[in-house]
Amino acid sequence: MVNVFPSLFKKNLTEDVPTRDDEVERIGKALKTEIGSLFGQSLAIRALDTGSDNATEIEINNLSNPYYDVERFGIIFVASPRHADVLLVTGAVTHNMVIAAQKTYEAMPSPKFVVAVGDDACTGGIYRGSYAVMGGVDTILPVDLKIPGNPPTPTEILTGLLALMKRARDRK
Amino acid sequence: MTPETNTITEWLANILGPDFPKNRLTEGYDGEVYVRITDKEFERSIPLLAAYQFSLIGLFGVEEFGVSPGTSLLYVFEKTEHLLILVPGFTSPAPSIARLFSSAAWFERECRDGFGAQFTDAFDTRRLLLHETYPDGFYPLLKSCPNEPIETKLAIEPEEEYPFRTLAGDGVYQVPVGPVHAGVIESGHFRFSVIGERIFNLEVRMFFKHRGIEKLAEGMEAQSGVKIAEAVSGDESMANATAFCIAAERISGIVVPDRAWYLRTILLEMERIISHLGDQAGMLTDIAFPFGASRFAVLREEMMRMNARITGSRFLRGIMKVGGLERDISFEDLNILADFCDLFRGRYRALLRIALTNTSVIDRFTPTGIVSRDLIVPLALSGPTARASGSMNDTRVQHPYGIYDRYIPEVKTLHEGDVLARFTLKAEEIIASLDIIDRLIREMPEGPVSVNAPVADGYSLALVESARGQNMCWLWIRDGKIWRYKVRTASFCNWQAIEHAVQNEILPDFPLINKSFNFSYAGTDL
Repeated sequence: MVNVFPSLFKKNLTEDVPTRDDEVERIGKALKTEIGSLFGQSLAIRALDTGSDNATEIEINNLSNPYYDVERFGIIFVASPRHADVLLVTGAVTHNMVIAAQKTYEAMPSPKFVVAVGDDACTGGIYRGSYAVMGGVDTILPVDLKIPGNPPTPTEILTGLLALMKRARDRK
Repeated sequence: MTPETNTITEWLANILGPDFPKNRLTEGYDGEVYVRITDKEFERSIPLLAAYQFSLIGLFGVEEFGVSPGTSLLYVFEKTEHLLILVPGFTSPAPSIARLFSSAAWFERECRDGFGAQFTDAFDTRRLLLHETYPDGFYPLLKSCPNEPIETKLAIEPEEEYPFRTLAGDGVYQVPVGPVHAGVIESGHFRFSVIGERIFNLEVRMFFKHRGIEKLAEGMEAQSGVKIAEAVSGDESMANATAFCIAAERISGIVVPDRAWYLRTILLEMERIISHLGDQAGMLTDIAFPFGASRFAVLREEMMRMNARITGSRFLRGIMKVGGLERDISFEDLNILADFCDLFRGRYRALLRIALTNTSVIDRFTPTGIVSRDLIVPLALSGPTARASGSMNDTRVQHPYGIYDRYIPEVKTLHEGDVLARFTLKAEEIIASLDIIDRLIREMPEGPVSVNAPVADGYSLALVESARGQNMCWLWIRDGKIWRYKVRTASFCNWQAIEHAVQNEILPDFPLINKSFNFSYAGTDL
């Protein structure tokens, strides 16, 4: 039989985490508490790009790098809208993406939330009035929260998600 | 076959004949030569250009450019440092040249959608920019079409759906992927024809994110156009803004102060490093090597924070302007950047050693997703995609802009053309960029970072080397306003390489192959 006793006193195998920002930690802890009580420990997010310039996707992806590592707060990015609580939409809605965006939203189970991330998703941004876009996400989907920015930083996106928790609580 | 020629004049004599009237040639600001030719001359010169291994790097419409009031088509050809722009005065529909120049297939479809241009004998006449919901007869890039919201169809019938190339046969089935992907990825569609696990054919369908960038810029003042250029592709903000500013500055004869060029070049190289690091992290993620991936991601995050510190934006936005830079970067910040890069280099090398001595990494990276060298010229491939397959071309060397003629980057070339070659090449380019940044900070001149000079009327081509390859910008300012802004990012041409690279690979390797290129969807779709 393997004796597990010595391993309890061994040093951790993992290294120290590189760095943590106080602000991210504070927002993250608050989010974790809220997600724990409102969403049963985990908030499943589905990202949807309806016509962004890719900067916002990069910042959403950055949420998973070791500096933010949002999975420890209970936030997971899921592969299918059928598993999602939140639709995180980036970019002004182009005509070429309208149908795909609506199908994605319809595939989500209720209750569901839509968050527009970045100036273009919030209002249509610089593309407002263009022949190729409908406008902001709210022209085709009911938007619960807007996170402005060109693009918003990972910390700003987290702050936005914390604000969404308040909305979710109100809706309950 | 290829004659020994050194100057563009000799090339022109070869292609158009020695007696070609000189008054139909105009030299542009980037050494590009505009040649106004007849239908007959066009038809004669196209096969010659193909035989001489010229690449078609751009084809776009411009209104009121020629003697005729309608749309002129500008064909931009490149061979090493030579740039030739043919402006045919077509009296009948243009002949399609997509059989000789593969890159023309998408270009011609783009011109058809934007301007209603017709090409005789074209083998692909499907829509490109404007998908099925757009109305027929709608040509948004024509001046007669105002840039205003339009009505599109809210649903499409099955028979109106896009006709993909379908391949039939025993055991062949289709796997549609996208436009909404499983990860946090931009929107685009991949249609695989698969036999078992092997990819038999891939058709890439883009332009889901077509948001009308080119039309948007029209009518704006040059200075306001910079933010449009920054929105072409988020992680190429600096490269596209630079191309735009270079074009405007060339037209207006604006001499940008040296210090501004030193700083611009530092920022351009930082953008390259960040882009390459993201690709490398992504490649390691896709082969389930999260330890390596997260370490690359840490370096990238720190570099982005450095961006924010010295320019106020993690994406280097809002600092470029026509005539220089919006703000200076302080001596202290540059010192901090120099120290950061110094430490960065050691950490990066250590990390590379870990990744490249791991057998499972090598096993997955090679020989996966090979781009053949033969594709480079016909598809107008550029950047790491081309250089990992034997190309020696780098826009910074062939068409130097700013101070790249004094700080000549060493062009790295590999020949395997697989995922490992692209990974290794990007690693070498990161080290080379660190060297350039280091030198620039040490040799940074004092002085102003911008000049206030009015923007004049005229047109110019500008080419820059973004992280993904050659980005082309063609700008025409008329009566102080942007009349035409054409952007063609490296991704537009490079996307077609992926259709070749995945053939006979297994479907589970597609994400890895795709990430090893990491093309921009936004920069393609405009």
